[in-house]
Amino acid sequence: MLEIRNLHASIGGKEILKGIDLSVGEGEIHALMGLNGAGKSTLSYVLVGHPAYEVTEGSITFRGKDLLQLSPDERSHEGIFLSFQQPVEIPGVPMTKFMQAAINAKRKYEGKEPLSAAEFLKLMRERRKIVELDNKLTTRSVNEGFSGGEKKRNEIFQMAMLEPRLAILDETDSGLDVDALRIVAEGFNRLRTPETSAIVITHYQRLLDYLKPDFVHVLIDGRIVKSGGPELAAEIENRGFEQFLV
Amino acid sequence: MSHMEATAQYIRLFESERERIDVGAPAALNALRDKAADAFRRLGFPSKHVERYKYTDVAAAFAPDYGLKLATQPAEPTDFELVSKLYGTLAPLEADGIAALNTMLAQDIVVVRVPAGIKKDHPMQITNNWRSTLPLMQNRRLMIVAEAGAEVQVILTDKAEAGQDYLTTQVTEIFVGEGARVEFYDIEDTHERCHRFHQTFAQVATGGSFTHAAFTLASGLSRNQTDVTLAGEGATASLLGSAIMAGHQHVDNNTLIDHQAPACTSRELYKYVADQQSSGAFAGRVLVREDAEKTDSIERNANLVCTEEARMWTQPMLEIYADDVQCSHGSTVGQINADALFYMLQRGLSEAEARMLLKQAFASEVLDELPLEPLRLRLAALIEKRFRNCENCKLCK
Repeated sequence: MLEIRNLHASIGGKEILKGIDLSVGEGEIHALMGLNGAGKSTLSYVLVGHPAYEVTEGSITFRGKDLLQLSPDERSHEGIFLSFQQPVEIPGVPMTKFMQAAINAKRKYEGKEPLSAAEFLKLMRERRKIVELDNKLTTRSVNEGFSGGEKKRNEIFQMAMLEPRLAILDETDSGLDVDALRIVAEGFNRLRTPETSAIVITHYQRLLDYLKPDFVHVLIDGRIVKSGGPELAAEIENRGFEQFLV
Repeated sequence: MSHMEATAQYIRLFESERERIDVGAPAALNALRDKAADAFRRLGFPSKHVERYKYTDVAAAFAPDYGLKLATQPAEPTDFELVSKLYGTLAPLEADGIAALNTMLAQDIVVVRVPAGIKKDHPMQITNNWRSTLPLMQNRRLMIVAEAGAEVQVILTDKAEAGQDYLTTQVTEIFVGEGARVEFYDIEDTHERCHRFHQTFAQVATGGSFTHAAFTLASGLSRNQTDVTLAGEGATASLLGSAIMAGHQHVDNNTLIDHQAPACTSRELYKYVADQQSSGAFAGRVLVREDAEKTDSIERNANLVCTEEARMWTQPMLEIYADDVQCSHGSTVGQINADALFYMLQRGLSEAEARMLLKQAFASEVLDELPLEPLRLRLAALIEKRFRNCENCKLCK
């Protein structure tokens, strides 16, 4: 479903990704691990089309389409969702209004009629329960005054609303206590269909215990230096990244 | 046209029409006409060298030849003595060219008087709907008198039919009695060929409370001047404003809050969204006099400048002559938050929709401060409509 070939990307003229190759199949979960600054977040931003990053070489295809030709909102409509590492606060824009605009933009892209207010609210209620998101949070402005944990939970709630084909979780576990981590991870698992794929960026084994990745990749200095099964994550947990450093 | 030529044009108009103006106007207004005319001859239109007018080209706005529609019969206010006593006492017609011009030409006055202790349970609305086959000028007067303990909410709405040039001067004098409460909402939703100069002068007595909110949803050139004197102990004032500007629109809000008495409170929040080639100005002076101990004042102006061509001037001013006060003032000028914008795009909103929601959110913060809830909801809808029209029109694409 996702094919990344020899991807090079830079920000402000500085090359961060130096030739990434990665294939993610339907229903697969890939964990991406690596030290800070290795390029994990850059890869996720490039996938969703952040304007600050420039792709200098290589290609990305998503379900047969040239992803690099699509605008960020089109990528979202195609089913790519990023759970941001630091979700931004948007004062004055209510969560409900924001989600309604997002859902209906996607439906328009798919040639469907917009949801009625009643249908939309019903959907919100249903999906809110999956991540145990408090009703009062959905009545507030987007992420405004949310705690770190609430923000992450809100990301998974939005994922539940948008039902992506490929979810990128960028350190969704950071800032979560053990209980919140379990709720978020279990919520994610409940949302998964056999077709849902994910790229999970994390420093810790803990999240992977819940999400059970099919593949684990180690990213060092803009390149994937090692790929393997779940046992690779356990190995990193025990021995750290030093073994991969040249 | 220079401001001297523009001034001469209106003096000629006044001199040729003087008799007809007098015939159609109440005696209270005629009584000040000579004094106002003398002041206007002396002051003329304020040039950009006059401090409070430096952000707006007044003479250019008055230069076109507008028709003046004259009443043929006076509408005498019922409270003749009260109006005669109070008319022109707050407006500085001997110091301000626009106030002088208005007083020189005004023929009608709307008077809202609320007797002591009466609390109006419904707001009053005054609507102005411009419609004319010729370019038209109007010089309006409004007086609000809330006697001790009285409460009143007045909503003024300005609308105009498209395709014509309109010019308004309006002078509003508001007397807020002891423990009285006045809310005055001035909502403009006109078009790019409308020019207006509104001046509001309010005096608040002991324990009285005054709220003024100016919403500019659409206009050509608007200058709103709001001067409040907190004259009695414990009086409060709240000045609010939100301006949505696009095209070549120009909005200038100029305020003065004069803390003359102790323990008074003032709050001020003005927000502007400047799009395309529009320009905005905010100047707010808070004056805390020597006797105004225990003053509590917060002044804030925040502006969103959306394009390279849009301009915003901001000038918050705080002058304190008392010792024991709590005052702050500040302003910001910024652009659309790129992180917020990208976050919204990632969730599938189009760039136009995301920008629109961010602008709308910015302009709507002022609504949170409005005491009148139905109006708050109505304005939220009007602001949204304004932005959606704008985003969908050809100009904004």
